[in-house]
Amino acid sequence: MTKPIIEVKDLAKNFGKNQVLKDITEQVTPGQVIVVIGPSGSGKSTFLRCLNLLETPTSGEVDFAGENLTTLDTKRVNELREQMGMVFQSFNLFPNMTVLENIKLAPMKVKHVDDATATKRAHELLKQVNLDDHADAFPASLSGGQAQRVAIARSLAMDPKVMLFDEPTSALDPEMVGEVLSVMQQLAEQGMTMVVVTHEMGFAKSVADRVWFMADGYIQENSTPDDFFSNPQTERAQDFLSKILM
Amino acid sequence: MKKRLILFFALLLALVTGFTALTTTANAATDNSLTKIEKKGTLVMGTSPDYPPYEFQATVHGKTKIVGMDVAVGQKIAKDMGVKLVVKSMSFDSLLVALQTGKVDMVISGMNPTPARRKNVAFTHTYYQGGYSIVINKSDKGIYKNKDSFVGKTIGAQTGSTMYNESKKQTSGTTVKGMTSVSDLILALQSHKIQGVAMEKPSAQAYVANNKELAAIPSDFNLSASDTSASVAFAKGSTALVNKANKSVDQIKQQNLVNKAYLPAAGKYLKTNTVNTSMFHYWKAFLTGIEYTLIITVCSVFFGFILGVLLSLARMARGGVFKTALRWLATAYVEFIRGTPMMVQVMFVYFGLGLIVNLPALTSGIIAISLNSGAYVAEYIRGGINSVDNGQTEAARSLGMSSGATLRYVVLPQALKNIWPSLGNEFITLIKDSSIVSIIGVSELIFQSNIVRSDTYRGVAPIAVIMVLYFILTFTASRILNYFERRMQHD
Repeated sequence: MTKPIIEVKDLAKNFGKNQVLKDITEQVTPGQVIVVIGPSGSGKSTFLRCLNLLETPTSGEVDFAGENLTTLDTKRVNELREQMGMVFQSFNLFPNMTVLENIKLAPMKVKHVDDATATKRAHELLKQVNLDDHADAFPASLSGGQAQRVAIARSLAMDPKVMLFDEPTSALDPEMVGEVLSVMQQLAEQGMTMVVVTHEMGFAKSVADRVWFMADGYIQENSTPDDFFSNPQTERAQDFLSKILM
Repeated sequence: MKKRLILFFALLLALVTGFTALTTTANAATDNSLTKIEKKGTLVMGTSPDYPPYEFQATVHGKTKIVGMDVAVGQKIAKDMGVKLVVKSMSFDSLLVALQTGKVDMVISGMNPTPARRKNVAFTHTYYQGGYSIVINKSDKGIYKNKDSFVGKTIGAQTGSTMYNESKKQTSGTTVKGMTSVSDLILALQSHKIQGVAMEKPSAQAYVANNKELAAIPSDFNLSASDTSASVAFAKGSTALVNKANKSVDQIKQQNLVNKAYLPAAGKYLKTNTVNTSMFHYWKAFLTGIEYTLIITVCSVFFGFILGVLLSLARMARGGVFKTALRWLATAYVEFIRGTPMMVQVMFVYFGLGLIVNLPALTSGIIAISLNSGAYVAEYIRGGINSVDNGQTEAARSLGMSSGATLRYVVLPQALKNIWPSLGNEFITLIKDSSIVSIIGVSELIFQSNIVRSDTYRGVAPIAVIMVLYFILTFTASRILNYFERRMQHD
């Protein structure tokens, strides 16, 4: 069995008295696409944000490529974050920069790539997400779907080993969901390791290697999409699936 | 909260005590005063040049310089010591403080050696025995005869002067109004805000000679010799210096130099001064004013901004004892600066810090205004940083950017855009507020206008000129700022 790239051990996270994550132990192997689903407020986003330490775990371990993030200094954490791209629900593009500048910023400031190389790479990525004609546009002029594709390209510019998606299509108009999902699917087909928090059951079914069902601060089920959707084991999952339109 | 407050005041008290102690030690220097001057080769004379014929500004060959009988006295003293005289101008109120803090070596400004002043500085023998007159509007001639005619009326006098104190003491039923400069008093007189101005006889004569609408009447104040005489002031304890100067002063007295030579010479300057009182004639003075106003503003905006960024970051520091202390310090600084008048800060930097390092007035002014502006800018920036969506920081951090890089490349540029109007406002305010440094004698616009006013005996015209000049400056600045604001708009 290949070595896991992400390993979570006994992870717990409290916000004050509120226990959001209770005890999570899971692992992600390279090339895997994990889709995390579950009811709202079950801690999915918090879990994802603990993986790159945007949230500091209250207890437990998050290992990335064999290093325990919770024990590292800030500098090393920054270095490892480069290797974990993250895409947010609200895109979080930098509004004062053009699309091209958004993509070039981190490679140039963090990896100190020269301008010409960064520009060339940015154009390649924009072609990959079908937006090269918008290179000089400002984020405010983009539709939600376009903005999210730029955000994906921006993360890919750092050549990450893992991509984390935090409800990437939840803020989009329905007709724009498809263009983002197809970019993600393409990425999965290229062998990118992905952890996706989403409500898109269709995406989970067709793209995921594993589905993690999360509720009440625990990962209740870890199974293949087929098993999960046709034969959910826990009552919590059965209840959840019965409530969503399939 | 209460504990914090007590701690804060304890700190403040310690600071003040420290400074007082410092002042005392500075005063208790041994008497090498004369040798120090001789070694330095210059004798710095402080004066308030709005008091013709004692001291005033005159345009000589297109250059403004301070002239008058006091300057002649100063020159004589310096010459006898074998050193060069340097004349430094500042407001009358600030003169003795400047002397005590070593900003100037001596003060000659028609100053009376009163017992109260003797407590703080050392005086030479008197070089001139004058008396008081009261200047009134010519149209009121006949109504007012002397100090006792002003019952129910108002007499004006220069703040901090003997005339002011005596007018208060020796009149009853008369309101005494103090103003910093004599030119303002004359203006108040002409606009009938006050009915008379008490001043030294020679000054009164100069004003009357140069302004047909004014007249002088005797004051009939009951005065001791020390109230009507003028002396040179030196720092307390500099006996050697005073003794040396006394020799010069005695000569001046013996040879009656003031009446024979100094006053006639001063009179000549007064005449050339009033030949051309058109504002255009003084364009160089105004230009200098604009130059200094801009220097002060631009430098203060620059340093104030840097300080503001640092302070705002310190105020947002979280976690750890060191960071908490930093946050507390920054917060205390901002609160303190915002809670004290800028004028006091300017004087404190010039006179207070002057005890430790001798800073020129311009540098002191820039430092004080930068320190002040920094506190305000810090609050704007803090607000601006808070206004940037947290998602921006998260996005940058998730790309592997350090917190510093995130701040510099992602958060600050957006914060700056958000607070640009406030920052612009601060810049425009600074152009106007830089006028405060006129009190320590920096030749910015207000200071220059005061000079032109006392030069020309015209009260309103110079004010109108600088009003227009200030507006041109601020309006141009706001256009430029708007241009950049538009360029930053992307949504």
